[in-house]
Amino acid sequence: MTQQQDRTAALVLEKASVAYGHVPVLEELHGTVRSGEAVALIGPNGAGKSTLIKAVLGLVPTVRGRIEVLGVTPAQARRDVAYVPQADTLDPDFPVSVEQVVMMGRYRKIGWLRRPSATDRTLAAEALERVGLSDRAKNRFGTLSGGQRQRVLLARAIAAQPRLLLLDEPFNGVDAVSQHALLEAIALLKQQGAAVVVSTHDLAIAHLACDEVCLLNRHQFGFGPTDAILTPERLRATYGGHALELRGDRVIVTQT
Amino acid sequence: MSWLDSTVHRAMIEAALVGVLGGVVGVFVIARRLPFFTMALTHGTFPGIVIAALLGVDLYLGGGVFGLLVVLAVVVFSRARGQDFTAATGIALSGGFALGVVLVSAQDGFSKDLTAYTVGDVLAVSTTDLVITAGVAVVVLVVMAALGKELLLVAFDRDGASAVGLPTAVLDFALLAIIEVTVVATVPALGAILTVALLVGPAATARLITDRLVLLFPIAVAVGVSCALAGVWVSTQWNVAAGASIALFCGAAFGVAFLASVLRGRLRPAAGVLAPPAAVPEEARA
Repeated sequence: MTQQQDRTAALVLEKASVAYGHVPVLEELHGTVRSGEAVALIGPNGAGKSTLIKAVLGLVPTVRGRIEVLGVTPAQARRDVAYVPQADTLDPDFPVSVEQVVMMGRYRKIGWLRRPSATDRTLAAEALERVGLSDRAKNRFGTLSGGQRQRVLLARAIAAQPRLLLLDEPFNGVDAVSQHALLEAIALLKQQGAAVVVSTHDLAIAHLACDEVCLLNRHQFGFGPTDAILTPERLRATYGGHALELRGDRVIVTQT
Repeated sequence: MSWLDSTVHRAMIEAALVGVLGGVVGVFVIARRLPFFTMALTHGTFPGIVIAALLGVDLYLGGGVFGLLVVLAVVVFSRARGQDFTAATGIALSGGFALGVVLVSAQDGFSKDLTAYTVGDVLAVSTTDLVITAGVAVVVLVVMAALGKELLLVAFDRDGASAVGLPTAVLDFALLAIIEVTVVATVPALGAILTVALLVGPAATARLITDRLVLLFPIAVAVGVSCALAGVWVSTQWNVAAGASIALFCGAAFGVAFLASVLRGRLRPAAGVLAPPAAVPEEARA
């Protein structure tokens, strides 16, 4: 932890409140994610996890307080931020190949009216290699399993060479092989100095992959080191008192 | 006497041009699931044609301008709470067509122009029409080539496109405007009612043949041009309506490709026609 104090802040939330129109979704968020760190956003459905990710992308306005991304506003930071949506929100019939999806990660850096260069192709191929799906490059995206599609979307984000990576529920309905591949790729990104924000229902994964946790349900119920924050009391508060069982150090949320 | 003085030659060139346009633009119509919107657009241009006739200006200019208004109306209405794109499209379709009918019924002496407008008359295209269609084709192809990767990203992953800072609303409007211009350019050949055949049929046929985006464009163009030329040929041989013949060939091409995909076992399990689409992006509903 002491080493991380020296690292630069990739994401700073300063009493930030986020709203769709006049309806406040998240209020008074406060915390910092540093380069090379991963934070898990944990909370029930409708808690505002996806909204926070969209606010960090600058797609939902911050109405009070401040969100600072890589030292600038969210909209100014987009070039260095990559977003991984849930694979099942994308049309599986869309006629696009795996390698085309990964190349989309390069579009921002390629710019308008230009075509991918040899460097872009190399970076896209390397990104696909990192998630272990090089052999599926030519396949249509929709023919892959849910977990594999999620890995392709992570490869797309890796190809963008982000300094901040945002993942929206990447482990939902993902098989063990893909889960392992996702975790390894995320760990490598952290090693290389990227900050990672991942929303998840899975407390075990939060323990495994993340240094910090942000407990969310409209408000913030805790933000800090994983072990200190994932306590039964705080989880019960976050999940509105839904039953929790404890077995040793394991916490199970019975209703999300 | 120039080669272009022949009615049949002009019809063939016009048919080939709209075949190319319909094929290329159709790939995005299919990928974005916009056939219904395209249908609405063809009907939505109707009042523009009638108003242009009343004012004595060019019919297709009138249709084009009014079509753009319909595009804007659909984009604006579909942002209303609790509505979606198809509801706004349905209202634009019926509202546009109804306005046209009301205007026509208030006026006498439209019937001849109107028949040409609704079912087309490719054998009546002038050299000027050809130049306009060719110009539209060049502009549409250049714009689509220039914005290709951005249009692809917005089509595939809208949130992802917003996340990297692409102006998704502008790109959506650009695509709808491309469709609109293509519709207006195709109407003299196929007519307002049948234009949708060339903007949906060839691309849908190509989609049955291949999964690969790079192959979709050439296959859709090949199908579109073949159907258009075959339609004109049949029309001159047996003296039947050219626009309808082209539309029938488009339907037949799709039917053959569909049967072939059934025989190759490429149909997906029955999901039911009323099953919701696999993915409705959150933004589209918000």
